[in-house]
Amino acid sequence: MSRSYESIDPKVIDDDMLKVAVGEQGPQEEAGQLAKQEGILFKDVLSLQLDFQNILRIDNLWQFENLQKLQLNNNIIERIEGLENLIHLVWLDLSFNNIETIEGLDTLVNLEDLSLSNNRISKMDSLDALVKLQVLSLGNNQISNIMNILYLRRFTDLRTLTLSGNPVAEAEEYKMFIYAYLPDLVYLDFRRIDEQAKEMAKMKHQYSIDELKHREAQMQARLEDQKLQQEKLAQHKLAFVEHLDGPFLFNSMYSEDVEGNKLSYLPGVGELLETYKDKFVVICLNIFEYGLKQQEKRKAELDTFNECMQEAIQENQEKGKLKVAKFEEKHLLNLNAIREETELPNIEKKLTECSDDINDLFNMLMTLEMQLVEQLEEAINIFERNITDLVGLFIENVQSLMAQCRDLENHHHEKLLEIAINTLEKILKGEMDEDLPDDVRALFVDKDTTVNAVGASHDIHLLKIDNREDELVTGINSWCAHLLDKIHKDEIMRNRKRVKEINQYIDHMQSELDNLECGDIIDI
Amino acid sequence: MEVLREKVEEEEAAEREEAAERAERAEKMERMTKPAEVSKEETILTQDELQDLEKRLAAIETPIPAEYSFVNKALIDVTKLPPSYTTNSTKEEHLLQVADNFSRQYSHLCPDRVPLFLHPLNECNVPKFVSTTLRPTLMPYPELYNWDTCAQFVSDFLTMVPLLDPLKPPTYLYSSTIVLKAQKGNCFDFSTLLCSMLIGSGYDAYCVNGYGSLDLCLMDLTREVCPLTVKAKEAVKKKEKVTPKKYAIKPPRDLTSRFEQEQEEKRLQEIKDLQEKRLKEEEERLLEEEKAKPDPLHGLRVHCWVLVLAGKREVPESFFIDSLTARSYSTKDDHFLGIESLWNHKNYWINMQDCWNCCKDLVFDLGDPVRWEYMLLGTDKPHLSLTEEDDEGLDDDDDIDDLGKEEEDKSFDMPPSWVAQIEITPEEFEVRWPSGKKVIQYKRAQLEKWAPYLNSNGLVCRLTVYQDLQCTKVLEIKEWYQNREDMLELKHVNKVTGLQVDYFKPGHPQALRVHSYKSMLPEMDRTMEFYEMIRVDGLIKREETPMTMTECYQGRSDFLSYRHINFGPRVKKLTQNSAESNPRPMVKITERFFRNPAKPADEDVAERVFMILEERIQLRYHCRDDYITASKREFLRRTEVDSKGNKIIMTPDMCISFEVEPMEHTKKLLYQYETMIHLKNEEKLSRHQAWESELEVLEILKQREEEEEAHTLTISIYDTKRNEKSKEYREAMERVLHEEHLRQVETQLDYLAPFLAQLPPGEKLTRWQAVRLKDECLNDFKQRLIDKANLIQARFEKETQELQKKQQWYQENQITLTPEDEDLYLSYCSQAMFRIRILEQRLNRHKELAPLKYLALEEKLYKDPRLVDFMKVFV
Repeated sequence: MSRSYESIDPKVIDDDMLKVAVGEQGPQEEAGQLAKQEGILFKDVLSLQLDFQNILRIDNLWQFENLQKLQLNNNIIERIEGLENLIHLVWLDLSFNNIETIEGLDTLVNLEDLSLSNNRISKMDSLDALVKLQVLSLGNNQISNIMNILYLRRFTDLRTLTLSGNPVAEAEEYKMFIYAYLPDLVYLDFRRIDEQAKEMAKMKHQYSIDELKHREAQMQARLEDQKLQQEKLAQHKLAFVEHLDGPFLFNSMYSEDVEGNKLSYLPGVGELLETYKDKFVVICLNIFEYGLKQQEKRKAELDTFNECMQEAIQENQEKGKLKVAKFEEKHLLNLNAIREETELPNIEKKLTECSDDINDLFNMLMTLEMQLVEQLEEAINIFERNITDLVGLFIENVQSLMAQCRDLENHHHEKLLEIAINTLEKILKGEMDEDLPDDVRALFVDKDTTVNAVGASHDIHLLKIDNREDELVTGINSWCAHLLDKIHKDEIMRNRKRVKEINQYIDHMQSELDNLECGDIIDI
Repeated sequence: MEVLREKVEEEEAAEREEAAERAERAEKMERMTKPAEVSKEETILTQDELQDLEKRLAAIETPIPAEYSFVNKALIDVTKLPPSYTTNSTKEEHLLQVADNFSRQYSHLCPDRVPLFLHPLNECNVPKFVSTTLRPTLMPYPELYNWDTCAQFVSDFLTMVPLLDPLKPPTYLYSSTIVLKAQKGNCFDFSTLLCSMLIGSGYDAYCVNGYGSLDLCLMDLTREVCPLTVKAKEAVKKKEKVTPKKYAIKPPRDLTSRFEQEQEEKRLQEIKDLQEKRLKEEEERLLEEEKAKPDPLHGLRVHCWVLVLAGKREVPESFFIDSLTARSYSTKDDHFLGIESLWNHKNYWINMQDCWNCCKDLVFDLGDPVRWEYMLLGTDKPHLSLTEEDDEGLDDDDDIDDLGKEEEDKSFDMPPSWVAQIEITPEEFEVRWPSGKKVIQYKRAQLEKWAPYLNSNGLVCRLTVYQDLQCTKVLEIKEWYQNREDMLELKHVNKVTGLQVDYFKPGHPQALRVHSYKSMLPEMDRTMEFYEMIRVDGLIKREETPMTMTECYQGRSDFLSYRHINFGPRVKKLTQNSAESNPRPMVKITERFFRNPAKPADEDVAERVFMILEERIQLRYHCRDDYITASKREFLRRTEVDSKGNKIIMTPDMCISFEVEPMEHTKKLLYQYETMIHLKNEEKLSRHQAWESELEVLEILKQREEEEEAHTLTISIYDTKRNEKSKEYREAMERVLHEEHLRQVETQLDYLAPFLAQLPPGEKLTRWQAVRLKDECLNDFKQRLIDKANLIQARFEKETQELQKKQQWYQENQITLTPEDEDLYLSYCSQAMFRIRILEQRLNRHKELAPLKYLALEEKLYKDPRLVDFMKVFV
C-alpha cells in the first residue's frame, strides 16, 4: 500500500498484455514450440497470472471461459468487475489492491479460494453466491464491526479465515468470538485452532449461540415450509386442479361480485349461501381428487412408455455395438494383412473386400436403425392414442362436474331471485322490518334493478366457473399436445443422430481405407 | 465257535498266573454258555429258574464269550464296573419276567415267526432287556447335536465286526461303555450307541432289529457312489416370466420359412433320439456289469439300524440311518428288507405288518396296535385316532382274558438304564478313528480319513477317484488339509490332464485363493486367483501361458480391469540366464478400464494397447450413453528429422483419431502431444507393473515351494494340549507358584520354636524367660555366624595349604615333569586360585554381613508378637 502509483502509468488489461502473459505462462520447451506454432486460444487457458502490472481496471477477460485460477494481486484495481464470465473460477487472488467494497462476484459459484487481503474493504457482504468457499483472506482491511463475522456462518465449507490487521482483530473478544460463532473453522489467521480453545469459546458464548441457532432453525423451518407448499402447488398445477382443494374458486366468484355481496345481506340469503358454498366446495374437491388421480395415471402411463422406449433403444444399441465390435475385429485383421501383403493384385482384392465389409456394416446398422424407427413409431402411436383417450376422459368428467357446479349456481340463482323479489315486494309494501344498508336498499327500487343485480351476480359466477373450466381444458390439452410433439421430435432427433453417427463412422472407416490405398500406391 | 474259543484259551494260557485255573475256567465257560442258550431257546422261564440262573451267573467269573473275542478281556474288568452291570434290580427282574411272558404269548400266537430279541446277555453275562441298554445321553460336543454328524461320529469311532451268525441276532449285547472302550462292535452295538446319543439330543429315535441286504450288513459301500464325488446339482434358476409391458416393442417380422424350420428340427430331433438311445444302451450295459451277484441269503441277514420318526427336532419325515455307514435312507429303500421289532428306551414294539415288499409298505404309526404290538402299556405314544380306538375297544372285548393281564402291566414302566452315562473324552473325540485313520471303499472311489494333526502335513482326507470298478486307473485325487499355516485347504490333482489345483482358505500371505498349474516352473500355464478386497492392487485373477499373462482387477481407483501382456521370445544374453535377470521382452500390453463416471465418455479410455516394438499406441474410448460407436485414437511415435534437420516434435499424421463428436481442442497438436507424452509415461509404468507381476509370480512360486517343504501346522491358542508355547507358559506359571509357595513356607519358619520348645508347654512366658529366650536365640545365632565364618576360614586355609604343597612339589619335580603333567598342574593351580579367591570373597562378605544379620534378628525378636510385651517393658 505504501507504493505511490501516481509515478507509474496505470494500465488497463488489453489484448497485448494478455497475449504476453498467456505465452509466458503457457507450455514450455517442445510443447511450447507447438503452442507457438498453433497459437493458444484464450478459452483453453486454465490459469492466468497478472500480478505487478499496475492494472487499474479489470477488463477483456471475457474470453477466458474456462479459467480456473486468476491472480490479479499487487495492482491498483479499485473495483471488482469484468469477472462475470469466468464461472469456472476456483481460485481468485485480488490482494494488494485498492478495492473498497466486495462486489461483482455473484456469478462465480465455483470459487473456493478468495483472497482480498491488503485492500480497503470495510464490510463483508455480497458473497452469497460463493457456496463452495473454503478459504477467505481478508487480512489488513478496514473491517471494524465484529457482528459482521456472523455473515460468514452461511459458508458451510469455510475452513480458513484471515482477518488479522483489521480493526476488528484488535478487539479483546475477537478470537473467542470467531471460535464460538464459526465452529467449523480450522485455521484462523494462519494458525490452527486449538480444540480446547474452541470448547472454551463455545462455553462462553453458549447462550447467544443457542439463541442464534434457534433463530436460524426457525428461519430454516419456515423456508422449508414454503418450499413444501410451493412443491405441492406445482404438483397440483401439473394435475391442472390447483386451488380446487378448497373454497378458493367459490371465494373468487364473490370477490368481484359487488351485487352478490350486497344481496347476501338479505334475510335468508346467508343460510342459502352457506349451503351453496358447502355443496360447491364438495364438487370442487371431487374435481381436485379426480384430477390428482388422473395425473397419477397419466404419469404411470408416461413412465411405462418411457421405460419401454428406453429398453428398446438400449437393446438396439447393444446389437449395434456388437456388430461394430465384430466388424472392427475383422477389419483390424484385414488391415494388417493388407499392410503385410506385397502383391499389388492381392492388395486390391483385399481392399475391395474391406470396402465391401464396410458397406455391409453400413447396411446392417441402417437396417437395425430402420427397424427401430418402425417399432418405436408403432409404440408411439399406441401411446398417443392412449394418452389422448385419457385426456379426453378427464376433460369429459371434469366438464360434467363443472356442469354440476353450474347447476348449483342456477339453482342458487333461482332461489336468490325468489328471495330478492320477495324482499322487493316486502319493501315496496313497506313490510320490511329489518334494516338494510343503504346501498343494498338501493337495489330494491324496482323490479328491473333487482333482477338485473341478481342477474349480474349470476353472470359473474358463471363466467368464473367457465373460466376455470377453460383454463383446465386448455391446460391439459396443451400439455398433451406438447408432450406428443416432444416425443415425436425426440424420436426424430434420435434417429437423425444415429444416422449421422453411422455415416460418420462409415466415412471414417472408408477414408482410412482410402488413405491406406493411397499410401500403398505411393509406397509402390 | 470252537476255534474261537480255543483261541481265547490260548490267549489266556499265555498268562502264567492264570495257567493253573485254565481247566476250571474252560469248564466254567461251558457251564455258562449253556444256560445262556437255554434261556434263549426256551423262552418259557419260571421265576425260580431265572433266579437260579441269576445266582449261577453271579458266581461265575466273567469269561470272554467267543462272540466278543475282539473285546480285550482286560477291558471288561467286572470289579471296576458299577453293580448295575453285574446284577439285576428287582424292577429289572420284574421286567424280564414280563418280557418272557410277552415272548411266550408271542410265540404262541405267531409260531412261525423268529423268537424275539428281548434280553441278550451283557458283558457280565447278566440278561438285560434291550431297552434298558439304551442310555440316552446328550453329548457335550456341539458337533454331535445333529443326527448326521452324530451318525458320522459313531460310524467313524467304531470298527465294524460282522455278526457271528449272519442269520441270527447276537446272544450278547454289550453296554456302550465297553463298546466305546474297545472301539469295536457289530451293527447292534453301533445302533445302540447311536440311538442313545440321538435320543439324548432329542430325536425320536428307535433301534430296529430287522433284515438288511448283503451290502448293508457287511458295510460294503463299493456299489455306492461316494457322496464326495457327487457334484451338487446347480439349482435350475426359474426364469421369471416377464409380463410384456404395455408399450413393449414388437419384434421385427420373422421372414424365415416355418416349414424349413420344422424340417430342420425334426432332423435334429432324430439325431438326438438316436444318440440318446445309444447312451441309454451303454448305461444299461454298465449297470448290468455293476450289478451284484444275487445273494443266496437275501432277506435272511439280520441287521440292526436306527429309525428316526418325524416330529421331534423338526424332522419332517421318518427315515432310517444305517449306523455302520452313517448314511440316511428313506424308509422305502431297497436295502432294508424287513423289520422284526424296534425299541427305544421306553418300550418295545413288534412289527405285525407283512414285509413281503421290503419296508416299502410299512406304516410307522407306533400307536396303532394292529400294526405294532407293544410290550409295555402307558408309553408316550398315543393311540392315534378315535376310530382306531373303537376298533381296539372291540378287540379288547374279544380278548377279555388278556385284559386283566394288560391292566396289570399298565402300572409297570421301563426301569432306568443300567448302563453308565456314555463318555467320550475330547482326545477320543478328536482322534475319532480307532487308530486315527479310516479307509472306505466306494464305487470307483476310495476315501481315506485321518485325524487332524496325525499327518505332519495336515492331511485329513483323501479321495481317490478311479476310472474302472477294479480301482486300478486313477482319475483324480482330492486331498483335504486342515490347520495348515499356508491355509491350504484342498489339493485337487487331475491325473488325466495333469492339472493340479490348490485351494486356499482366506489368510494366505499372498491372498491366494486358487492356484491351478501343471508344473511349478515359472512361465508355464497357470492360473492364480486371489481373494478380492485383501490385495491392495485389487488383483483377482492372473492367468499365464508360456507367452502371455492376463490379469483381472477390480475396485481400483484408476478403474483398471484387465491387463494382457504378450511376451516375445527371450533375447539370449551372455550373462546369467535366470528368469529374474533376463525378463522376456514385452511385445504388446493391452489394458482395459471400467467406465469412470467422473469423466465424459469421450475422455474416458476403455482400452489402450501399447505395441511396444512398433511404438504404436492405440486408444479406444468408452461409448457414450446413447451411441453405438466409440472414439478411437492411434499414436505413432516416429522420431524423424525434417528436411531442415530440425527434430519433428509432432505432426498431424502421428495421431489418427476418430471422434464420435469432433471437438475443437482435441484437434490441436498441443493436445495430442500432451496426450502422447502422458501415454509414454503410462506405458513405462505399465511395463514396470507387468515386470513386477512377473516377479511376484516367481515369489509366490518360491513361497509355495517353501511352504510345501515346511508344511507347518498352526495350533490354535485355545488348543492347550498342543500349543507348546502356552504349555510352557502354563508350566512356568505353575513353577513360579510353587516356588512362591515354598518361599512362603520358609518365611514362616519360626526361629523361636526350638527355644520355646525347651520351656514347659502351656505356661505363660515370664519376662525373665522372655529375655532369656531372646538372649539364647541371639547367642545361638551369633554362634552360628561364627561357626560359619570359621568354616569358611578353615576351608580357605586348607585350600591354601594344598596349593602350597602342590607348588612345592612342582618346584621339586619341575625338571622331570612331562608336558601333560605340567598342564595338569597349571590347570590345578588356576582352579585352586579361583577357589581360594572365592572363599576369600565369601569370608569377607560374611564378615561384613554378619553384624547386620545379627542386628536384623535382634530387631525382629524385639518385634516378635510373643516377646513384644516383655521387651517394651524391658526397654
